[in-house]
Amino acid sequence: MRRAWKAAAVALLAAAAAGCATVPVKPWQRERLLDPIVAFRSEAREDARKLKTFEAREGSTGGIGGAGGGCACK
Amino acid sequence: MTRLATAFALGALALAAVPRAAAQTVADEPPVAGTLVRWFSDSERITVRSLTGNWTCPLPSAAGLQLHFNNERVVVPGIAAAPGTAEAVDAITTASRPISGDAFQDFIKVRNEVQGDYERGPLALSYYVSSERDYLAQQLGGRWSRDLREQSLNLSLGSSWSWDDIQPLADDDTQTGGARRTTLHWNAVLTEVRSPTTLVRYGVEYNFVNGLQHSPYRNVYAGGTNVPERHPEQRQRRDAFVRTSHALPNRSSLKLQYRIYNDDWGVNSHELGTRLSQYLTRGMSVRWEYRWYTQTAAGFYRDTYTDPNGVDGYRSGDYRLGALSSHLFGGALRMDLAALAPTHAWLQRLSLWFDVERYFNSNHYSANVVETGVDFRFP
Repeated sequence: MRRAWKAAAVALLAAAAAGCATVPVKPWQRERLLDPIVAFRSEAREDARKLKTFEAREGSTGGIGGAGGGCACK
Repeated sequence: MTRLATAFALGALALAAVPRAAAQTVADEPPVAGTLVRWFSDSERITVRSLTGNWTCPLPSAAGLQLHFNNERVVVPGIAAAPGTAEAVDAITTASRPISGDAFQDFIKVRNEVQGDYERGPLALSYYVSSERDYLAQQLGGRWSRDLREQSLNLSLGSSWSWDDIQPLADDDTQTGGARRTTLHWNAVLTEVRSPTTLVRYGVEYNFVNGLQHSPYRNVYAGGTNVPERHPEQRQRRDAFVRTSHALPNRSSLKLQYRIYNDDWGVNSHELGTRLSQYLTRGMSVRWEYRWYTQTAAGFYRDTYTDPNGVDGYRSGDYRLGALSSHLFGGALRMDLAALAPTHAWLQRLSLWFDVERYFNSNHYSANVVETGVDFRFP
């Protein structure tokens, strides 16, 4: 598992660094990214609800970048 | 624990001291009120009905407020086995619900949750409270975000502190007293506009949980006798994830997600998810979803314990701590009436959606979720 964590960390850093090497996308080129079926934010509330369901049925947590509220279902 | 609380307070102060950046969210949008109804039912005949309300409102000075309310009614069915049989006795002693007197009656509980989020510029603060008859949870959170590289990169740092007060109800075969649980959470999330059609999000999260972490009502059959469940009081949980979203040429999009998780109880997990959305017509879209998940067992989890002390003094009847894998299939229909009914002043402010999900895992457990909701955008 430790090897998997190292590989994941290296892959994330490499992917993030690759993005920094490119020319930033201009604001007027981002119209398609605002579409509700593309934007991450449009599904944020739904993701939070799903996280609670998964936490109540599985042994792990996380994946949305925020803490879920506590409840007795966990 | 005092040290952790101090760390959280210092972290929140540090976040508040950072100068504002351009990142804004709620403040840029019109006021929206929404409601949602959700039905959950599973193979153990547990049902949950959720009634949710959301309200989002921009405020002066680039600020915004979000309020969220959720009322849930959970029905845990009475023991199905015939009274007096060995199956009924097993079911009663290993139940994760309180049983006092009649075990063959349904147990019904109501949960109310309220959350408020206040955003101003790059800062956001949140408070959450959840109340049940035997559980009161509260959480205070803070987040700071900043746009970088001509707003093509956003860095978000968040933290929260939650404290739960647990007051178990009367139970015939366990006598757990009142207890507390606290959770310190940290996260760092980087969101990047990779190209005019691609978004990427990377994140790491850490949780330190301290306090009661097992069911106060459940017994475990160990070494020939029934003993109360017992889990360690501390747990360090961490995960890293990456998400991508691609706008495809034919008015569709593809989202992919991977998450790796690990904790000091020995649970390691991987999750892969995908969502494919497609516009059927302007304002109406469908979405298909699939999620695969797998995890290893906690170090002290056993299907059968030969010693009443379990493993290192811990024993669990919680299948969530065993090895398992799961699948989720889902479908959703979304309609924005602004596009479908442009001539009706009221209708064009509405968005509707309908979701169906089927979940099943390797423990012969399955669940169905049906969700429908409506959002109204104020002028």
